[in-house]
Amino acid sequence: MNDFSSLSPLLILIGGALVILLLEAFGRWSSRLIHFILALGSLLSSLVMALTFWGKKVTYFSGAYILDDMAILMIVLFCLAGVLIIFISLTYMIEHGFNRGEYLALLLLATTGLIIMTSSVDLIVIFLGLETLSLASYVLAGLKKEDEKSSEAAIKYFLLGSLASAFLVLGLAFIFIQSQSFNLKEIISNISKGADNSIIFLIGLSLIIVGFGFKVALVPFHMWTPDVYQGAPTPITAFFSVAPKAAGFFVLFRLVSPFFEPIYLRQNLKIILFLLSSLTMIVANLVALRQRNVKRLLAYSSIAHAGYLSLALLSQDASGLIFYLIAYLFMNIGAFAILIALSPNGREFHDLDDFNGLASRAPWLAACMSVFLISLAGFPPTAGFLAKFYIFSNAIKQGYVVLVIIAVLTSLISVYYYLRVIVHMYMSKELPPQAIRINSDFLLLLIIFFCVYAVLQLGLFPGQVINFIQRASSSSPFL
Amino acid sequence: MTLPSISLITFLPLIGAILLIFIPGERKEIHRLVAFIVSLITFVFSILLFIHFDSNQVEPQFVENTPWLGYGINYHVGLDGLSLLLVMLTTFLFPIVILSGWRYIDHRVKEYHLFLLFLETGIIGVFVSLNLFLFYVFWEVMLIPMYFLIGLWGGPRRIYATIKFIIFTMAGSLLMLVAIFVLYNYYYQATGSYSFEIADLTKLILLPKVQTWLFLAFALAFAIKVPLFPFHTWLPDAHVEAPTAGSVILAAVLLKMGVYGFLRLAMPLFPQALIKFTPLLMILSVIGIIYGGCMALIQKDVKSLVAYSSVSHMGLIMLALFSLNQEGLQGSILQMINHGLSTGALFLIVGILYERAHTRLIKDFGGVSRQMPVLAAFFLIFLLSSAGLPGLNGFIGEILCLFGIFRVNKVMAYLAVTTVILAAAYLLWMYQRVMHGPIIHDHVRSFKDVNLREIVYLGPIVILMFWIGFYPNFFLKKMDSSVAFLLKKIEEKQKYFVFEGEPQKGFPLKLAIKEKSFSDSVQLDLKLAQESRLILSKEKKQP
Repeated sequence: MNDFSSLSPLLILIGGALVILLLEAFGRWSSRLIHFILALGSLLSSLVMALTFWGKKVTYFSGAYILDDMAILMIVLFCLAGVLIIFISLTYMIEHGFNRGEYLALLLLATTGLIIMTSSVDLIVIFLGLETLSLASYVLAGLKKEDEKSSEAAIKYFLLGSLASAFLVLGLAFIFIQSQSFNLKEIISNISKGADNSIIFLIGLSLIIVGFGFKVALVPFHMWTPDVYQGAPTPITAFFSVAPKAAGFFVLFRLVSPFFEPIYLRQNLKIILFLLSSLTMIVANLVALRQRNVKRLLAYSSIAHAGYLSLALLSQDASGLIFYLIAYLFMNIGAFAILIALSPNGREFHDLDDFNGLASRAPWLAACMSVFLISLAGFPPTAGFLAKFYIFSNAIKQGYVVLVIIAVLTSLISVYYYLRVIVHMYMSKELPPQAIRINSDFLLLLIIFFCVYAVLQLGLFPGQVINFIQRASSSSPFL
Repeated sequence: MTLPSISLITFLPLIGAILLIFIPGERKEIHRLVAFIVSLITFVFSILLFIHFDSNQVEPQFVENTPWLGYGINYHVGLDGLSLLLVMLTTFLFPIVILSGWRYIDHRVKEYHLFLLFLETGIIGVFVSLNLFLFYVFWEVMLIPMYFLIGLWGGPRRIYATIKFIIFTMAGSLLMLVAIFVLYNYYYQATGSYSFEIADLTKLILLPKVQTWLFLAFALAFAIKVPLFPFHTWLPDAHVEAPTAGSVILAAVLLKMGVYGFLRLAMPLFPQALIKFTPLLMILSVIGIIYGGCMALIQKDVKSLVAYSSVSHMGLIMLALFSLNQEGLQGSILQMINHGLSTGALFLIVGILYERAHTRLIKDFGGVSRQMPVLAAFFLIFLLSSAGLPGLNGFIGEILCLFGIFRVNKVMAYLAVTTVILAAAYLLWMYQRVMHGPIIHDHVRSFKDVNLREIVYLGPIVILMFWIGFYPNFFLKKMDSSVAFLLKKIEEKQKYFVFEGEPQKGFPLKLAIKEKSFSDSVQLDLKLAQESRLILSKEKKQP
């Protein structure tokens, strides 16, 4: 069904971003609350608009843009992430002196990029979305203008990101050579006709995996992650660790899954993904052991989770992937929200020692942080456990026993460094109560409690969510 | 009974824990009281279950089964003869440990009781789960409160001890998780339907090679928990550093979860692999018995002495378990209860001494019995129970265990007897050095004898010890039929010889049936085997 209104989730976000920018430039508002209301409003209405197309599978731009149930699910995820990020960045922005209009507009534009990426089946449009996202991200990473680390993060992100984009474009070109089309549907029909020269496909596909491997931070393309995550403003780091990763994996899944059909490609793809996944899990978890800065630790943990996610990619398990992404969204944004609570007055106290005795200074925050860490480590009854459970059990079903053994052993390592934060919060010598002012405004606490609720709900009674995911993945077999 | 009785005793402590969250932290007395009352109510409910338990029935009783997450993951709980006594032991000990920490735990009282109650839910959950997924969830959940209990209220090296405890246990259980997935997948291949039900999975008969791997993964998890000899190193650390309540629960209940895992899962699921590994496991158990006893002899710290005595006693329990006969299994289950009572009680005594002296080194005591005659009496009873004196509970369990072992392997039985000798040696020697002799240290003179609260929580243990010692049948008959049924199941599964056809890629699942008489309980297995054979033959034709 061709329907112009299917573009509405995108148009609302772009419109919202532009209005916010114009207001920032020309508006004479004494209270800047209007920016927030606009940003939240456009994210929420985009979410609602997307949901109205549930089950309809509308398309536009002669099929290049497609709003199937999976894409809608991803839009919901991105908008939710956006809303949570905006809520947790309220005080942070004020205390760190950001330009609010700029910040919110860029966030909305980045979300637009994400939506373009995930709801298109045309390689060029996917690339377009990726670049929209990337440009906004480069600026967002460098928003703390006086901070050297933030600028370093922006430059690093920009240079390495451009390099990765180049690889990606080259990969797309290879695919184009072989299939004479940028549309994924036509590519698939070409594959099924029997592409004897599939070495070209393989090269193209490997290059695409390199490009997206950079975006989702798979080892060995992860070098930028710790620095960018540490340097970027904390709410933005939370955004980076959740939304682009989700989009990257989703698109990678879309691109890679048709190539699992021919045997030659499948075998090679399996080897490539096997190596990437195991390497990512091992390296990230081992390096994370030595981190003293919690923000950096979470960066490495995010790389490690990319390793588990690529396990889902390998076993072609769409619903496991999506469930993991949703669970990861809540536990990671929750953990970063705690870090924001520990960044008062434009400074950031994220060293492990700054967490000493947090349990007595801020018992609720410490308890919530423990829930998030326990979930990240994959203990039941939290979302992290179920997410890992689904991915691992599907991987075993596909016969990747060795990989799953690597995965559980590396998550054993991860237990150590996650619990170390808890050790510092609960079992270390306490800091004087006034050592670090805890930034605990109402909205931040609200989001933290909401995330705790979501983590437990998804861990104990995820029935509804799983139903949704399965309906989406069965009704739209990815294309 | 229409009441969801098992859910009630499982989740009542959790409800209590949630209640504690809303009581302000300064009201320490209320926290203690609420926690105590909740655990006491749980105990009363479990007594009701015990009374209503029909000992002739082999199937689990009080069953509740509701779908939870789909794909064979159900909330399926029930009690049978194997788990009943362990649940009783758990609910019996929790009010006692809460009383034991009444005065000693004075900071973070709220969190302490919260974690204790949370732990109780986790432990009971492990024992009542009849669904493998549920079992695993409780098995892991229970680590979190234990981690905090050791890490927050423990001794000087508590952080090292608690992390070591977590990492060791997780290492085993994560590999078990992989094995669970593989097993689940086999079941799916064989029947085309998903199930995590332990009863369903037990019907699978796998190739010996596959069984070997899966058994190893399960056995590792349980062996670490028990702990069997080379995996025991976390235990002395955790015991010594944990607060009294932590040590008591750890020794009395948590270690039993490993044995229970063997009983409930590893043995009925993989009988052929069990035969293969029984010699190895028996040797490890014997080494554990002797090594633990010898280590206990040379300990300077009373608490680590009791901890090593645990290693030795658990070795005997495991040895009896692998003898695979009625006496051995019953002895092993009864001895689990006895060990829980006597070692738990010894840790309580150590806790009482520590509260007064703030030291646990044997050389810092001496002549305590003059100051604390009542405590000395309790101590002696617990110690003799642990050493297996006739008339007390330990004797019955040990003698049953030894009978069971003797029927299988005489050499092992001879070696196993050393546990009794060694136990008498290290316990009595320790008792003599701590309680008797002249008072050397002045601080001993300031010791006050046990107070009413302490008598109240030590008393019931003494009564139970004599009860089991004089009339064990009351407890044994509850598990008779369940144990017999389990043995029959294992034996019948071992009768199937396995037909090894041409090797297949991936994870081949081959089944074969020996054409002998089958009892009704095996009929299903037969059908399943035929079905899966059909599926496999279909698969073979495709390529």
